[in-house]
Amino acid sequence: MRRFHRQGMLRQGLRRLVRTPAGICGLVLVGIVVLAALGCHWLAPFDPADQSATMGIGANHAPAWSNPLGTDRLGYDVLSRVLYGAPTALAVGLGAMVVASLIGVAVGGIAGYAGGWTDELLMRLTEFFLVIPVFLVILAVVRLFSIVVVGTWLETVPHLSLMTIIVLLGVFGWPPIARLTRAEFLRLRHAEFVDAARCIGTRPSEIVVRHILPNAMPGIVVVIALGIGSAVLSEAMLSFLGFGDPNAVSWGQLLFFNYEQLKIAPWSSLAPGIAIFITVLGFNLLADGLSDAFNPRRRQ
Amino acid sequence: MRFIGRRAAFALVLVVGVSAIVFFLVNAIGNPIAMLISGQPNATEDQIAALTAYYHLDQPAWQRYLAWLVRLAHFDLGSSITYNQPVWQMLYVWGWETLKIQIPAIIISILISIPLAMTAARRQNSRSDMSIMAGSLLGHAMPTFLMGIVLILVFAYWLGWVPSYGAYSLRAPAWHSVFLDGLWHMVLPVGMLTVFNTATFTLLLRASLIDVLRQDFVVAARASGLPERRILYGHALRNAFIPVLTYLGIAFGLMLATAPVTETVFTWPGLGFLYINAIQQLDYPVIMGETVVIAVMLVGATLLTDIAYVAIDPRIRIG
Repeated sequence: MRRFHRQGMLRQGLRRLVRTPAGICGLVLVGIVVLAALGCHWLAPFDPADQSATMGIGANHAPAWSNPLGTDRLGYDVLSRVLYGAPTALAVGLGAMVVASLIGVAVGGIAGYAGGWTDELLMRLTEFFLVIPVFLVILAVVRLFSIVVVGTWLETVPHLSLMTIIVLLGVFGWPPIARLTRAEFLRLRHAEFVDAARCIGTRPSEIVVRHILPNAMPGIVVVIALGIGSAVLSEAMLSFLGFGDPNAVSWGQLLFFNYEQLKIAPWSSLAPGIAIFITVLGFNLLADGLSDAFNPRRRQ
Repeated sequence: MRFIGRRAAFALVLVVGVSAIVFFLVNAIGNPIAMLISGQPNATEDQIAALTAYYHLDQPAWQRYLAWLVRLAHFDLGSSITYNQPVWQMLYVWGWETLKIQIPAIIISILISIPLAMTAARRQNSRSDMSIMAGSLLGHAMPTFLMGIVLILVFAYWLGWVPSYGAYSLRAPAWHSVFLDGLWHMVLPVGMLTVFNTATFTLLLRASLIDVLRQDFVVAARASGLPERRILYGHALRNAFIPVLTYLGIAFGLMLATAPVTETVFTWPGLGFLYINAIQQLDYPVIMGETVVIAVMLVGATLLTDIAYVAIDPRIRIG
């Protein structure tokens, strides 16, 4: 019992997480993706840029021993491309959520702690970002930005287009985090331990950072887990439509290259599609399990 | 009523905000004429000057924005650079094709999700509840395009029952009827959107029904001997439907915003297809017009949700 008490809220939550069915499924699926991302260098039978299959068994070849998931239209090995897509997907998901949570926690925290018309103003701003057709705006920005950078120093930045997508997904993905942070701050603002801290003269900045924020963390972590999944999905959709980074190996890009010949070579579209599905499902289940684990009232 | 008035005023602010963002975004990359004409060495100085004057590109951006807003207020969105048609007319024609698959999908998924959620919520943690939940979680997380790919592979290529692309047959319509031919082409896209929405609606409605079925008024209704059907579909459903209603606006927005994906998967001639083309060819009036019209539709949907809210829940009317 004593040992249990000394563990932080996050660690207690993680202990409970592995006891929920959703949590364990989510952990396994996310684990698969993370392993693929870390080990793609050793696991992949071919280099992702290796088109030598065109000289061997040919492009659009059905799954075979040498190429377990077949080859695609350009003669790439589908399995290798899918494995090398995992780090890209995780980079997009995590990167976008880092940006989103920085903005979201700041906006939601200020709104919830300050209250009054600051709160009103910030929440209207949040609602604005929730209502606008974000995906359409991002599509337009990606295309227009790729024109603006031509001829400037920005052009020399590696993977510029992927980074643009990551930043955009973050800049437009913060509203759910802000809403939740605000709700948690409202709930905790007048909690007894916060009032106590205020009574002994703790500075507001310290109250926020040391007392309120750690207690708001569990809820925020759940929203971030959900957000990683939806960022991965958004990047896949952008790439599928042909607005992705041509220099990155991503699942959406694979779909974009191969979708037109779905009838001839379905494996080269199905494989990346299923990879995206596993990632999104994994993070959704993880979020589900986390919210059960962190919220004792929801457990039965 | 004050509530609705406030929401309507905010909706107007939202639309103007979106229009400003889109306008200045699109104008951030400079003179579109110079960019589009750079591939046309035959264009003379006079022609360039004439086009610049025609699109008022010699004026500062804020002046053009105000002029554009005024024209917007008169329902004039200008004409497309690439199609040379009024943008309004294009949005009307292509928008019809988009709504044609989205509205039936929403209606069908509500109709399917109500009995599913009811079955699941009435017997929580039973086997039927577990399978409905698992199916919904899978359907909710499955990317729409993967669902589309699977549907096309199975029903179009493998079984050959329905066409995999387009809204109409290119040659003679099936069964000699344009109407039936259209319906036949709608099956797969509507099916894909329906699966996704049904999954989400079922998850939401189940959670909310479980909450409502525990409440005192349900117990009271049971105790007073009301038939179970009336308790479930009359009293509980009406109260449990509010979260779904809130989500309806979001679901509609999500479908409109991801229309480019849906319509690329099924090569469907709708707003999403139009948008992708407009972005690729830098067709400014279409990009701006379509974004604003979609924003208006989204804000309108949210406003309708608010009104429906008031109709269902009298507490909001007072508070």
